[in-house]
Amino acid sequence: MRSNNVLGFIFASTLDEKIPELSASRTMASVPIGGKYRLIDFVLSNMSNSGINNVGIVAKSNFLSLMDHVGSGGAYDLSKRRSNLTILPPYGGKTFSSYVETIYNMHGYIENSREEYILISPSNVVTNFDYSNVFDFHSKNNADITLIYKHGVVPGGYDRPLTIDVGENGKVNQVFIKPETGDEEVNQFYGSVLIKKDLLMQEIRNSLSLNQLDVKRIIQKSIEKFNVYAYENTGYCAAISSINDYFEFNMDLMKKKVRDELFNPKRPIYTKVRDDAPSKYGLTSSVKNSIIAQGCVIEGEVENCVLSKGVYVGEGAKISNCIVMQDTKIGCNTNLNYVIIDKDVTIKDGRSLMGFDSYPIYIAKKSVV
Amino acid sequence: MFPKQEVVAMLLAGGQGSRLGALTKKLAKPAVPFGGKYRIIDFPLSNCVNSGIEAVGILTQYQPLVLNEYIGNGQPWDLDGMHSGVNCLSPYQAVDGADWYSGTANAIYQNISYIERYDPEYVVILSGDHIYKMDYNKMLEFHKEKGAACTIAVIDVPLEEASRFGILNTHKDGKIYEFDEKPEHPKSTNASMGIYIFSWKELKKYLVEDEEKEDSSHDFGKDVLPAMLDAGEKMFAYPFEGYWKDVGTIDSLWEANMDLLDPNVTLDLKDIYSRNPMMPPHYVSSDASIQNSLIADGCNVYGNLEFSILFAGVTIGKNATVNSSIIMPGAVIEEGAVVQYAIVAENTVVGKNAVVGEKPEDVADRDKWGITVIGANTTIGENTVIKAKEMIEGNTEVNANEK
Repeated sequence: MRSNNVLGFIFASTLDEKIPELSASRTMASVPIGGKYRLIDFVLSNMSNSGINNVGIVAKSNFLSLMDHVGSGGAYDLSKRRSNLTILPPYGGKTFSSYVETIYNMHGYIENSREEYILISPSNVVTNFDYSNVFDFHSKNNADITLIYKHGVVPGGYDRPLTIDVGENGKVNQVFIKPETGDEEVNQFYGSVLIKKDLLMQEIRNSLSLNQLDVKRIIQKSIEKFNVYAYENTGYCAAISSINDYFEFNMDLMKKKVRDELFNPKRPIYTKVRDDAPSKYGLTSSVKNSIIAQGCVIEGEVENCVLSKGVYVGEGAKISNCIVMQDTKIGCNTNLNYVIIDKDVTIKDGRSLMGFDSYPIYIAKKSVV
Repeated sequence: MFPKQEVVAMLLAGGQGSRLGALTKKLAKPAVPFGGKYRIIDFPLSNCVNSGIEAVGILTQYQPLVLNEYIGNGQPWDLDGMHSGVNCLSPYQAVDGADWYSGTANAIYQNISYIERYDPEYVVILSGDHIYKMDYNKMLEFHKEKGAACTIAVIDVPLEEASRFGILNTHKDGKIYEFDEKPEHPKSTNASMGIYIFSWKELKKYLVEDEEKEDSSHDFGKDVLPAMLDAGEKMFAYPFEGYWKDVGTIDSLWEANMDLLDPNVTLDLKDIYSRNPMMPPHYVSSDASIQNSLIADGCNVYGNLEFSILFAGVTIGKNATVNSSIIMPGAVIEEGAVVQYAIVAENTVVGKNAVVGEKPEDVADRDKWGITVIGANTTIGENTVIKAKEMIEGNTEVNANEK
């Protein structure tokens, strides 16, 4: 299906400030994850696989890595005569902290696109999800707004989570901002919403004229005026809101059930291709319970780790519970535990680094240890 | 109107490759998977791009579907230019009839118009069954320097193996004075690598002449090159140093794959381009044990792996053992199965506790052992034993009680 009527609209900088280490030189959207992906690969692949032809990505700052990664969108089949990917840098050089102003700033792009609906999405959610079901649900219920939610414990990085009370028919009864949830399982809205473009722009203009810039309040109030429905994402769904979430998600990939669901071959997750050779295991290698991308050379011991493209692990190295990003070299006889190592890092021979389960330590891009 | 290209490469990819048996049943030889994520043709194609050649014609004839699909628009090799790039050239019908390609020279002859679109000075003739990395530019410089009509790349082979190759006997300056096809008593160790550079004007003349000879088999090695030599054309041997292997047989294909695991072999896979399957990184479980192997994306390894190559999307079950074998895309080796010294083709399933291939007692004694081959889309039933050197045709099912 390549004929749908929905414009995709993604915020690249969702919760950037919650992962300051990882987002020092990049956006949330371009954070490397799962060995060979960037976070935005999930939402972009989902949109493409759901038949969305036209996607705009709002980029606020530090978006060089994002532009390099998504390019013209060819990897997601979004660079055709009838499909497009557009990166939307600050228009007129202005950046805004509120969604309301940001969306208004892009009104030209939104209003000029030929689609009737818009699907707004954050970039920090990892899931494999078919949006066309939401569209069918939205149409069937004659909804004005459909919020996509996840039932579960609120991830730690959300300061003002938005949770909803959903009736049996899927209608939203009530919207709560920052409820005290603790470990309780709730219906949390991460920011994915389907709405008619006209209605969105009308509400954005109204809110601006009233100087109401808090999008959560606007959603809370919208249930009084509109038919607001909610659609549950019942599959695996991880929202990255802290370095701990980031670590946990990567470790979740060791579970077969999670991998089978996220990497469903019928709805593949696409990413920018790099021509790496298959990974090479040496005579002294020992790898247990790990995810390994291509282009790695492994001579040492690796356990409970995610290794990205082109990582080298020297002889006698012992690395456990680590996330290692692309082209990092880990020297011989090193000992690493609970470490997140960014791109192009060199860990010299014999070094030891220890983090802890609840406090993985982070080594910045291009560091030499 | 096409912009002029100084060099056009023509890649001979139409042969059946019958010596690869089950592996080329539904596949042209150049499309046979190699090295964990490549197909053989990735090597000459990547060499072309890395040598700055922008126009490549691929001559297809035998089972071209997979090859055509794989080449596609040539994008993975940067061969999707606006006015140049890669084209698959199959035999075609014309006003004065239609002919299959009757030989390698005839295949080029039938595509003279393709070559002339680019008005080239030189034509490089390549074949799709060799694994090597080479800068054709250096060879072209040599060709220009010598003012040759034809330059043939040669590699120094051990004297005891020389009688398996086409040997070129040359003067000191590299000028060829004799072709010696598989000589019993080789005079030199310069083996032809099947890579030719011709000055196009000369080649065209000889192709047209050869086409008119009724007794010709229209083959480069048998007809065109000897005719040029007899006519006194300047032909030179270009010495190449580096890794080169003909992978036309099961044994040599297996050996070339194993060479990738040998730290003493100089071939590296950097700058070899291929189509990349959209699969997640591979997973290695807590029960797995892996030594000296290559593993591509999408694999799940729960068993034991030694000296083996896994292509994309392969599953190795718990307590399964894979040793000195090549497992092609999508194949599944179920729990407790043993695969040794074997090539298992695409999407084949080796059932629980089945045993495929045998470990030789003495690797040096090549008469006593051999590689077992299981064709594509085949199911080897539980507890079935497939012996050394056996070849199981593709799309079949083999069960223990039937054997």
